[in-house]
Amino acid sequence: MILVVLEHDGQRLRKGALEAIGRARQLGSLGPIAGVVIGENAQAVAQEAARYLPVVYAAEVGPYTAEKWAEAAYAAVERSGAKVVVATGGRQSRTWTARLAYKMRAGLLEDTLETSTDGQHIIGTRYSYLNRVTERQKAPLPVVFTAKPNTTPPVEPEGNGTVELLEVNLPGGVEVLERLSEQKKGVSLTEATVVVTGGRGLGSPEAFAGVEELAGMLGGAVGATRAVVDAGWRPYSEQVGQTGKTVQPNLYLALAVSGAVQHQAGMNKSKFIAAVNKDPEAPIFKIADYGIVGDVHQVLPALIEAVKRLKD
Amino acid sequence: MKFLAVIRQVPDGESRLRIEGGKVDLSSVTMILDQMDEWAVEEVIRLQEKHGGESVVVALGPERFEDALRTALAMGIDRAIHLVAEGYLDPITQAEALAEVVRAEAPTLVFTGGQQADWDAQALGPALAEALGWPVVSWTTQVELEGETHAKARHDLDEGAEVVRVPLPAVFTSQQGLNEPRYPTLPGIMKAKRKELKKVPVSLQSRVEILEQAIQERARLNRMIDGKDPAAAAHELVRLLREEAKVI
Repeated sequence: MILVVLEHDGQRLRKGALEAIGRARQLGSLGPIAGVVIGENAQAVAQEAARYLPVVYAAEVGPYTAEKWAEAAYAAVERSGAKVVVATGGRQSRTWTARLAYKMRAGLLEDTLETSTDGQHIIGTRYSYLNRVTERQKAPLPVVFTAKPNTTPPVEPEGNGTVELLEVNLPGGVEVLERLSEQKKGVSLTEATVVVTGGRGLGSPEAFAGVEELAGMLGGAVGATRAVVDAGWRPYSEQVGQTGKTVQPNLYLALAVSGAVQHQAGMNKSKFIAAVNKDPEAPIFKIADYGIVGDVHQVLPALIEAVKRLKD
Repeated sequence: MKFLAVIRQVPDGESRLRIEGGKVDLSSVTMILDQMDEWAVEEVIRLQEKHGGESVVVALGPERFEDALRTALAMGIDRAIHLVAEGYLDPITQAEALAEVVRAEAPTLVFTGGQQADWDAQALGPALAEALGWPVVSWTTQVELEGETHAKARHDLDEGAEVVRVPLPAVFTSQQGLNEPRYPTLPGIMKAKRKELKKVPVSLQSRVEILEQAIQERARLNRMIDGKDPAAAAHELVRLLREEAKVI
């Protein structure tokens, strides 16, 4: 039995949940697949999930804490007898899956790109060493793994499953005092197919208006370097790099970004990389497919113009 | 009160990695205290400076980890414990071994890095918390003690952040913005040489095996365009992205 922990926003399943089901289906030889929806409004979301899976458990445990999520997932493991647990990779899931893997004394494969099985083990491919190394890991069952977002095609509905309520003994511990959400505009950074990132070389927070405009025209998201976030020009949620987000878009356009290793750790797997920098020696050019050596203050408006003409 | 940091030693992000026989070869690489663990060490020292008591640093890893432990001692930690073990160990196995030491030390809280810069693992802190039966706060950017029984902390979520109150003892993992780590001073480095560093050999079996490692750098086109004429350069880039790369 395989258990998929399904990510949702309180209303609907997230795309990552449909990707995680896809991963589970690839391991079909290990037996049937069950799902679990944890959190607020779990029952309603589980109804949607039942279009994809024969059995979906719903654990109404209220707002997120790692302890509650691990406990609820563990209850679903016990109920289903699952030997493999699949979840979508993210900061929160990589916290509670660690707790869950410890409860199960399972092998844990974090943020996998692909996974397969020989019937006794799970073999997973993932990045390590700040995204620079690709490695294959192997762990005997039981195994818990997270699937990196955007690495598996989302599945289509098949049939009509049943929803079962799951009783969970709620652990105490963390008490949430305040949620500080950041307002999001446009596409989310990790899901975007185009990312336009601005670096310190833009000179001012105002110069990001051009970055936003270009990203908007390309249907993409705005990214920022650590220096820009540290300077308070852009919110942390836009930071790309080792301590920010890891992105893998079709096009990563780096404007006035020098390209330190820590930044590269968050974007070096992008399909195409284009860069604009006035320094021909900037490290970003070494990993760029296309580079313009020039002044970003002149090139950025010209790029906006050129894209406008293209759209006309 | 007692504050405890769990650290690791990793390759400097700037050094060039090589693959030898299907595995990463670290023999010619500069090794440093993991930057995210450095934030954990700094926070532990600050908590001790503010609230008194003792600070301890613990590491599980090969002999070479001693240098990273000495760095933490030079920054100001009181004493170190080194569980000596070679080779790759998955976070669940690491957590099992580290939990024994932490339980015996019975600290007020434990701090460790949010992600390891070699194995890119985020699981050690939360797995350790589970092994101890303690709550975990991951990606912490701010922490304040409320007496000896609770802490108030701010930490990052997938989107946004939240402020939580957590009963102690608890495990925290670090995130950028937590603090600005101090540099070890010369007197600090001298003093660190005389501080207690206890070595305990351990024999552990990893649940997860690394079969093969490779550096798959994507071949990049490295096509450069002169930006002297910004309009022409921008036009050419947009054309290439449209016609050649087909990404816009």
